[in-house]
Amino acid sequence: MSLTGVAKPGTHPEHEHPHAHEHPHPHERRPPIWRRHPRRIAGALLLLWLLSGVYIVPADQQAVVTRFGKVVEPRVMPGIHIAWPWPLERVTKLKVQQLQRLIIGGDISDGILGRTDPRISQFLTGDQNLIHMRVVVQYSVGEPAQYLFRAENVSKAVGAAVEAELAHRVANRGVDAVLTTEKAAIQEEVRAAAQKIIDAYGIGVLLASVNIESAQPPPEAADAFRDVAGARADAARIVNEAHGYANDVIPRARGEAQRLLAEAEAYRRRKINEALGDASRFSQVAREYQRARQITGRRLYLETMEKILPRIRKLVVDKSGNLDLTIIRKGAPPAKPPPKQ
Amino acid sequence: MERYKKYVPAALAALLALLLARTFFSVRETEFVLVTQFGKPVYTVTEPGLHVKWFFRSATYFDRRLRIYNPRPSEFLTRDKKNLVIECYVAWQIADPKTFVQTVGDPVAAEMRLHDIIWSSLAAAVGTHDMDALIAPSPQAVRTQDMLDEVTQLTDARALERYGIRVADVRIKRLNLPEQNKQSVYARMRAERERIARRYRAEGEEQALKIRADADRQKQEILSAAYKQAEEIKGQGDAEATRIYSNAYSRNPAFYKLLRTLEAYKKIFGDDKTTAILSSDSELLKVMMEGERAAR
Repeated sequence: MSLTGVAKPGTHPEHEHPHAHEHPHPHERRPPIWRRHPRRIAGALLLLWLLSGVYIVPADQQAVVTRFGKVVEPRVMPGIHIAWPWPLERVTKLKVQQLQRLIIGGDISDGILGRTDPRISQFLTGDQNLIHMRVVVQYSVGEPAQYLFRAENVSKAVGAAVEAELAHRVANRGVDAVLTTEKAAIQEEVRAAAQKIIDAYGIGVLLASVNIESAQPPPEAADAFRDVAGARADAARIVNEAHGYANDVIPRARGEAQRLLAEAEAYRRRKINEALGDASRFSQVAREYQRARQITGRRLYLETMEKILPRIRKLVVDKSGNLDLTIIRKGAPPAKPPPKQ
Repeated sequence: MERYKKYVPAALAALLALLLARTFFSVRETEFVLVTQFGKPVYTVTEPGLHVKWFFRSATYFDRRLRIYNPRPSEFLTRDKKNLVIECYVAWQIADPKTFVQTVGDPVAAEMRLHDIIWSSLAAAVGTHDMDALIAPSPQAVRTQDMLDEVTQLTDARALERYGIRVADVRIKRLNLPEQNKQSVYARMRAERERIARRYRAEGEEQALKIRADADRQKQEILSAAYKQAEEIKGQGDAEATRIYSNAYSRNPAFYKLLRTLEAYKKIFGDDKTTAILSSDSELLKVMMEGERAAR
C-alpha cells in the first residue's frame, strides 16, 4: 500500500500541468481530490494507518501483542498503548479477572432438576464405596500469552486436571471422610495439586476455587446412610437423657443430705436444750426439797396421787380381810355388764 | 506487442507480490511450520515470527498446542484379578511435524494411534498392581501417581519415536467398578451402614447407662455420708443431754429417785383400764379410815 502511495506522486505532475495551462472554467471538470493533493492524501492515509496502532486496554482487561505471530508483549496492563499497525502486530485483549466456571459430574441443570447420571457423577472412594459428586471449578487467566496460545481447549484441560486430582483424592480416603469431615481438605488439596498440573502444562490458568457442591451416597443406599445419621442423633439423644437424669438425681440427693443434716442438728439442739431445761428445773425443785424434805416429799406424793387416781378404777380393801378377786369383776362399771355369771 | 506494453509493470508487480508472498511467512505461537519442497519435508520452523523460505518451497502449518484426548472408559484387570473401569485422559501435542505428517497426518488419526499405545501400556501397568495400590482408604497406600508416571514415560517415548507426538501426561480421570458389580457393592454399602448405625446406637446406650449408674452411685454416696454425719450429730446431742442429766441428778440422787418414780406412776397409770386395789392401811387412805389422828 505504501509502495503505490509513493509511486503516484511521480506520475501526477504530467497530468496536472495541462489542466493548469487551460483553466478557463474553474468549476468545470475539476479533477478528484486525490489527483490534486496526492502527497497530502498519502501522508494522511499513512498517518491514519499508523494511528490505527493506538489501542486502549480497559481496566478489567490485559492484552497480548504479537508481531507476525510471535509474542512481543506477553502482558500489557490497562491504559492507552501503541503497537505497530495491522498486519504487522496484532493485539488480543483478555478479561483476566473474570472467573470462568466449569462443572465436573453433571451440569447445572442436572443439579437443579436433581438428575444424576451415574456414569458422569459417580466416584469410587478408597473403601470401595460409590458416591455421587458434583464439583464446581472456577478459574481465571493467570498468564494471558500462555492462556491464549498453549492449549487447544483451555477449559477441557483445566477440567481434566481437576477431575484427575479429584478422583485421586477420593480414591485414597474412606467414604465418611469424603462425605463429611475431609470435604474442605479435599477441595484445597485438589485445587493445589491441579494448579501444579496446570502450571506444568503452561496454559496460564489460575485456579480460583474447587468447590464440592454436592457429595451424596448413591440412591440405592441413601436410606442406609440416612439411618446412620439417625443413629448418631439417637445416641446423642439417649446420652442427653442420661445426663438429664444425672442432673436431676444428684442435686436432689444433695438436697436430701442437707435435710438430714439439718434435722440431725435440730435434734441435737433439742436434746441438749431439753436436758438443760429438765436439769435446771430439777435442780431448782431439788433445792427446795432439801429445805423441807418431809413436807415436799409428801406433797409431791399426794399431788401425783391426785392426778393418777381420778382416772382409774379403785377398790379399797381392808388390810385384815382376805382378798376375793371376783370383786374386780363386780366392780365393773354398770354400763358394761359382766359377760358370764 | 505495443498494446500489451502498458500491462507489463502491473504484471511485474503482481509477480513480485507473488514472490514476496511465497518467500515470507509468519509462524504463530500456536503453530509449527513444516517447509516442504514438492511435497518432501525439508525442515521445520518452531520459532514463531516472520521467516523466509525459497519461493518454490511451501509451508504446511501444524497446531502445536496441547490437546486433551479422552479415550473411552474401559475395563482393566488388576494383579489380584479384580475389574476396574478406568477413564483416563491424555495431554499431548505434536512435537515433530515431519514424523507426524509422514505417519499419522491429522489429530483424529493421531488420537486413534494414541489410544492403542495407551490402552496397552495402561493394561500392562494396572496388571502389575493390586487393587489396594490404586484404591485404599489411606493416602500412603495409593501408588497411582507412580504408575501413571511410568505409563506417561513409556507412551511418550513410543509416541515420539513412532508418530512425532509428545505425551505430556496420562492421568486417571475416573475410577469405577463394572456395572455388573455395582448391585453387590450397593448391598455391601448398605450392610456396612447398618453395622455402623447399630454401633452408634449401642455406644449411645452404653454411655447413657454409664452416666445413669454413676449418678445413682453418687446419690447413694451423698445420702449415706449425710446419714453418717446426721447420726453423729444426733449422738452428740444425746451424749450431751445425758451428761447434763446425770450431772444434775447425781447431786440429788434421792430426790431424783422420788421425782422420777412419781413421774413414772403418772405414765404407768395414765389410762382407765387400770384397777388399783388400795389397802385401807395405805398412807393415802389412813386419814380417811382412822381420822385426823393418823395424819400426825
